[in-house]
Amino acid sequence: MSMFRAKKLDIGCYYNAFIIRDHSKRKAVAAAEPERQALRYIIRNETLPARTRAIAQLQLTQMHAYTRPTQIRNRCTMGGKGRGVLRDFKMSRFMFRMNALSGNIPGVKKASW
Amino acid sequence: MSVPRARLLDLMKAQCQLFSTTFNPEGLRLGNKVLRKRLLGPSFVSYYPPKLVTHKDMLREFAPFELTIDNQKEDMRRDHIAGLKFRGKSAPKKIRTAPDANAKKKKK
Repeated sequence: MSMFRAKKLDIGCYYNAFIIRDHSKRKAVAAAEPERQALRYIIRNETLPARTRAIAQLQLTQMHAYTRPTQIRNRCTMGGKGRGVLRDFKMSRFMFRMNALSGNIPGVKKASW
Repeated sequence: MSVPRARLLDLMKAQCQLFSTTFNPEGLRLGNKVLRKRLLGPSFVSYYPPKLVTHKDMLREFAPFELTIDNQKEDMRRDHIAGLKFRGKSAPKKIRTAPDANAKKKKK
């Protein structure tokens, strides 16, 4: 969705279309988070009238898909891969292996016993 | 020895005031657990590193002050193009006249 995309590139790492899309989603989620949480609060509050809660449910479902936190996926910051990404290093398993073996990641050493 | 319920409720109320939590003795579902959670947006946004200043940005910033820095790569590129032009291998000049109507039609 182009309306969420930044007009000027604002990512410093490797990027491709998937990464730019994911970053746009992240920013959309961050912007809409208070609104979503408020709606979720209204929905879960059983002391409020049923009509209010139903309206809140509808509003929440009608929000854009990009504002949904489940749309976010951690991607490799060095190769853009979406699977097998190590959360601690923000890298896919192969990128992690190459960088670790060449000594680019501090404190990581190949185990041997 | 039993403690009266009213007294226990008072204690609970005081506790809630002290630790700024919601006083809810009936255990109603008020949805407060949604509000208790911290906002995750900032940590989501900071996953990818922000764009830093590049060599090109520096050159552009300092251009008004006429502070130029040698850009070897760009110089080499220009030299290469000049060499091509000298040998007549550069890109053809753009045609300024309006294109012919017949020129667009392709042969079958």
